[in-house]
Amino acid sequence: MNRAIRHIALLTAKDLRIEARGRQTIGLVTVLAILIVVVLALGLAPAPGASGLTATAILWVAYLFGGVLIFEKTMAVERYDEALAGLLLAPIDRGAIFAAKLIANLVLMFTLALVVTPVAVVLFQFDLSASPGGFVVVMMLSMIGYAAIGTLFAALTSSTRLAGGLLAMLVFPVTLTIILASTRVLYNLFEHQQPVGGSGLAILIAFDVIFLVASWLVFELVLEA
Amino acid sequence: MTGQLRIQTDEAGGDAREVRQRVPGAPSPLRLAPQVEAAACSPAVRSLGVHKVIDDRPVLRDLTFDLAPGSYAALLGANGAGKTTLLRMLSTLTLPSRGRIEIFGRCTRKQGALIRAGIGLIGHQSMLYRDLSALENLLFFGRLHDIPEPGVRAMDLLEFVGLVDRANDPVKTFSRGMVQRVSIARALLHEPRLLLADEPFAGLDAPSVAAVERLLEQLNTEGMAVLLANHDVRQSLRLARTVLVLRRGRLVLDCPAGQLSAEDVLGEIDKR
Repeated sequence: MNRAIRHIALLTAKDLRIEARGRQTIGLVTVLAILIVVVLALGLAPAPGASGLTATAILWVAYLFGGVLIFEKTMAVERYDEALAGLLLAPIDRGAIFAAKLIANLVLMFTLALVVTPVAVVLFQFDLSASPGGFVVVMMLSMIGYAAIGTLFAALTSSTRLAGGLLAMLVFPVTLTIILASTRVLYNLFEHQQPVGGSGLAILIAFDVIFLVASWLVFELVLEA
Repeated sequence: MTGQLRIQTDEAGGDAREVRQRVPGAPSPLRLAPQVEAAACSPAVRSLGVHKVIDDRPVLRDLTFDLAPGSYAALLGANGAGKTTLLRMLSTLTLPSRGRIEIFGRCTRKQGALIRAGIGLIGHQSMLYRDLSALENLLFFGRLHDIPEPGVRAMDLLEFVGLVDRANDPVKTFSRGMVQRVSIARALLHEPRLLLADEPFAGLDAPSVAAVERLLEQLNTEGMAVLLANHDVRQSLRLARTVLVLRRGRLVLDCPAGQLSAEDVLGEIDKR
């Protein structure tokens, strides 16, 4: 177990070091996500004090497209110069590669959310004061499931010419379930003042577990295909 | 091992030169793992009726051959003959559709992880992270291979390939020849018993070709089995002791290099 954790830490540190050196992914993704939020703000001309449901919907659009770019870019690092073959030749569990890639993707997605969410709050005058903690917990749980599926499909599509477009086409329908669950929990939280917890949270956690386990199991097959 | 061989190439266009340094008591960067001797009685490679089908197209057909430990074999064939596919199967990156491959007596289908610990692969691509430095790349892969003292090993190998003074420079700033030498260092990190080299001279200038040639010879002299996929028939006949020729996925020649002329080999490659 310690060996697996050490390998995951090594692989994650490598991904984050490469990102920190170039800041190519996070820079590009942040600009894209902010542009999405600004365009939506201009197009929708929101009324002051938009509801939590609207906030969630707007933010999910930015997170979804930003996420797809993150998944694509972090996997492209492995395909460039066939670095992935170097990893596959090492005596490590393929699951460690998945776990490390997932953690790196989540770090980048949380960083994206840290920048984009305040921008959206200002532009749309979102009122998240009813339960900012609940909002963070629900979004983080949703992102874990989204990132698990995104990491798997990025590995699947990264060797194809259509990589980015194909990834979005595959990931969006599959993650619709988790997005619907997330918006439903937040709707209840902000419109009906129902605290985060109970069946809503259980559904989100269940989706996370299903997506994580399924992606972990399939990842090895995808890498060796 | 009487000393360390350091290969240096003048990237500005000068000649390649060897520097033999005797370092008393220093371990050779080419040292082989102790299990080399233990497994010496098994062939380095045994291919038994191997077929590979990709996208419903047979790429390799009924390949049966052995390579002895410590051998130096050249794998020749036209583009699309199946050389790269065969090397990928030998390195366990992909499995045969039918048949069996053994590396030092271990089946690739069942003991992939154990086999990978004893194989070094130099591919078409460098298999390096271009944003990391040469040293960072070697440290990273060394740690994945659980090498004791990966820093020492990485510096030994960078010294060996003549890049110790560029250890901290990102790989993306290197010339093709320098990248290839780091790639060779990466393949040697875990002291493999079998080195699979897929077109290692592709895109290299003449001094770098000479440097890599000497590197492979030196590794083979140290006891490492080398299988070299190559396009240059004359160079292969000069370097290798055994020649394997693939034509449209079939092994059509398996012969000592000394018994063949370049024309013989070219005739086999081109035969319809």
